Amino acid sequence: MLKPISIALLGLSCLSAALAQTTLRIAAAADLEPVLPPILAEFQRATGIRADVSYQASAMLTAQIKNGAPFDLFLSADSGYPQRLIDAGMADSPTPAIYAKGTLVLWTRKDSQLPPPSLDLLRYPGLKTLAIANPDRAPYGRAALAVLHNLNLYEALKPRLATAENIGQAAQFVYSGNAQAGFLSLTSALTPQLASSGAYFVIPQPLYPPIEQGAVILKRSSQAAAAHRLLDYLLSAPVQAQLAKSGLTPVH
Amino acid sequence: MDWQAFTLTLRLAAVTTAILLAVSIPLAALLILGRSRWLAVLEAVATLPLVLPPTVLGFFLLVLLGPRTAFGRGITALIGHPLAFSFDGLVAGSVIYSLPFAVQPLVAGFAAVDSSLLDAARLLGAGPARLVFTVLIPLARRSLLAAAVLSFLHTVGEFGVVLMLGGDIPGATRTLSILLFNQVENFDYAAANRTAAILLTLSVFALAAIYMGNRPRGGRRA
Repeated sequence: MLKPISIALLGLSCLSAALAQTTLRIAAAADLEPVLPPILAEFQRATGIRADVSYQASAMLTAQIKNGAPFDLFLSADSGYPQRLIDAGMADSPTPAIYAKGTLVLWTRKDSQLPPPSLDLLRYPGLKTLAIANPDRAPYGRAALAVLHNLNLYEALKPRLATAENIGQAAQFVYSGNAQAGFLSLTSALTPQLASSGAYFVIPQPLYPPIEQGAVILKRSSQAAAAHRLLDYLLSAPVQAQLAKSGLTPVH
Repeated sequence: MDWQAFTLTLRLAAVTTAILLAVSIPLAALLILGRSRWLAVLEAVATLPLVLPPTVLGFFLLVLLGPRTAFGRGITALIGHPLAFSFDGLVAGSVIYSLPFAVQPLVAGFAAVDSSLLDAARLLGAGPARLVFTVLIPLARRSLLAAAVLSFLHTVGEFGVVLMLGGDIPGATRTLSILLFNQVENFDYAAANRTAAILLTLSVFALAAIYMGNRPRGGRRA
């Protein structure tokens, strides 16, 4: 009676061991959510290496990794958080590998009854709620805050800011119509859903420090070779060209 | 210490508890005194928030209360501003989220009242309102206290709904649980410890108050 069950359990444990060998665990910044899936599917076709991704604000992922989350590769939305892991002796390289640059946009729904997005929209009195990602832990949120400070609008807009947990939630706040406008990543604005229902304005680069997105491979990863293959793949010319189409600026 | 978040949390919990008691007493009385089979469905619906993940509930509310539904537009017209990212929105979310914590103790308390007392009151001509206010509530007052304290504490500790619906606005939607989350996420563990200590102390004292009220002199099995 017990035999078939124990055989099944044995089979399951072998299966999970086999899966564990070929599955990379990636911690990725929320702005990559619309970008990574097709790239990782292509990577799996080419190499047989599967990758599971957790998307979160970069700071949250950093805290999780510092507290033992079992990730192999960390793709941040900036270079500061990977640097923290390097400083903590948890990464296998002396500097983060910059794999792309992020672009900040101002986005509104077409039916928001606001003027089309532009810097002037930020001074428009009818703008009652403006969504941003949390500036304390999301690099795009920090960039949005820099824009408001540089335009001397922070004090005026402060009571109207709706702060989202990460850049993905900021997109959800505006897309659902609850916030009238929002600072989003270009990667969000280019998704079919948002592209068909709204319009975006690219924030001029001098208004915020560049969002240099850095990656590190974690020292305790048991699959460092596979993780390096994936990182090299992300830096390869064809994938970099694909990143450009998804709203990230290639690094070379 | 962020007193603004502290007082906001207490205000949210107090308003939510008041609304919940006003809603739950008639609801629990209906569930106990009513005879329709459909009441089982009503009780199931009133218990649903226990099952739904709070973040999902928060997301549904965000969509439902937003300007893209007729319901959301109606509410906005009624109160003059959208519910999302406002204190009123958190109250609406908390009332739904904590509903089972008010209804369940009341249903249990009302059900424990000796039915012969209810029959006697009915024979003497008492209507449903009198049954509730002169028989059920006085005899189930400890359940009423439990319903009030659990609703209050559950709202104090509410996180997922506020995270989805709140927008982290100081003085309006930044509650203690969100503040604690921010402090942990920003690696400010010392401040997080202080906030957590306040939440814990508040809860221990409130729960001890209920259990003290429930304990007859000389122990439970005296």
